Amino acid sequence: MSDGSVAHRQTGETGVEATPEDLRLFARVRARERDAFEALYRLYHPRLARFLLNLLHRPQLVEEVLNDTLFVVWDRSDTFRGASKLSTWIFAIAYRKAMKALRRLDEPIEDRENDLRLDDHDAPDAPVSRRRAQEALLAALARLSPDHRAVVDLTYFHEMGYREIAEIVDCPVDTVKTRMFHARRHLRRMFDGELADWL
Amino acid sequence: MTMGRILPFTTDPHRETRDLMPWLVTGRLEADEQARVEAHLATCDECARTLKAERALAGAVAELPIATGISWAAMRDRLDAAARQTAILPPPAPRWRLGMKQIGVVLAAQAALLAAAVSITVRTIGPVAPYHALGSAPVTTGGNVIVVFRPDLRESDMRRLLKDSDARLVDGPTAANAYVLRVPEAERTDALARLRGDAAVVLAEPIDAASLR
Repeated sequence: MSDGSVAHRQTGETGVEATPEDLRLFARVRARERDAFEALYRLYHPRLARFLLNLLHRPQLVEEVLNDTLFVVWDRSDTFRGASKLSTWIFAIAYRKAMKALRRLDEPIEDRENDLRLDDHDAPDAPVSRRRAQEALLAALARLSPDHRAVVDLTYFHEMGYREIAEIVDCPVDTVKTRMFHARRHLRRMFDGELADWL
Repeated sequence: MTMGRILPFTTDPHRETRDLMPWLVTGRLEADEQARVEAHLATCDECARTLKAERALAGAVAELPIATGISWAAMRDRLDAAARQTAILPPPAPRWRLGMKQIGVVLAAQAALLAAAVSITVRTIGPVAPYHALGSAPVTTGGNVIVVFRPDLRESDMRRLLKDSDARLVDGPTAANAYVLRVPEAERTDALARLRGDAAVVLAEPIDAASLR
């Protein structure tokens, strides 16, 4: 990661809904316009980086998977048929590449060490209690499997519906609901007592 | 004969509300789902309590300040490297879009490509080794046609083209994305005509190492 920007979801923002502007940009990418691809890259990078960091917990691997993903978007743009939303297609590529990278590592699916850190420059005046709660939440997320973390992040941060998530992670919608149910139960248990800050 | 397992349709409003709560919080339910969930919430204290915790959890996850970075420089380098590899190939644009000016550019590019591909091929063909020691570098021999396919050609179509022309793949893709084929010498003219007549072929030319020396 080259700088310290943070993926924020603004209030009222609707996740990664593809806008007509996204689609216009993508049409230019298909026409091999490099500046359009750079704009699309900058548009999707923060969201994908956030998603992949949550999923992989290894910043070095995130960089590689993210660039592999966006290179496919550039190189294989002709394979997007519009059957799903542009964002669904891009996130599905990222998910497949991330899971493949994890299998290649041949490591236990749960992280031995949480390699994900909160950004120290973000909200430096945040109350200590909130900071502590965020650390606890991050630790609780790290104990989930990547499959469960992906569903949690796509739901809460990227604000995707369960049908779209099912397309991205390529599983039945009931599996998405079940993963989410178990993840929420785990997080509430691990995060017990710290939630009051957000109430 | 075994029957597939039939999953019961969820009609339990308590369970449905419990499962759909995350998407109620983020406003991602269909109108009918939302109506059913809200109707249940109005009558179930347990679900109403869970909803409060659910909103807190959703907010906390969404607000986690996880650092991300933009690394366009790395991607730019990668695109440049890919572009260098295919610099002399025309972009995969539909042919009917090409005007006369672009056709001229493509033909010039193809001529440059042929020169580059042939020079690469001549280097790889080299003299035939009289014997192979274990560990020797493989020596590529026997190619008599060089071909460049359209970049978006599917592998199955390439196989069909090779079969139709009675061709074997000898080498490639080269650095210029060309392939060296071997076709029966007596049928080379026909094979070349067939390849050139196929829309998936950008270029097909005879090569003969002896004549190039």
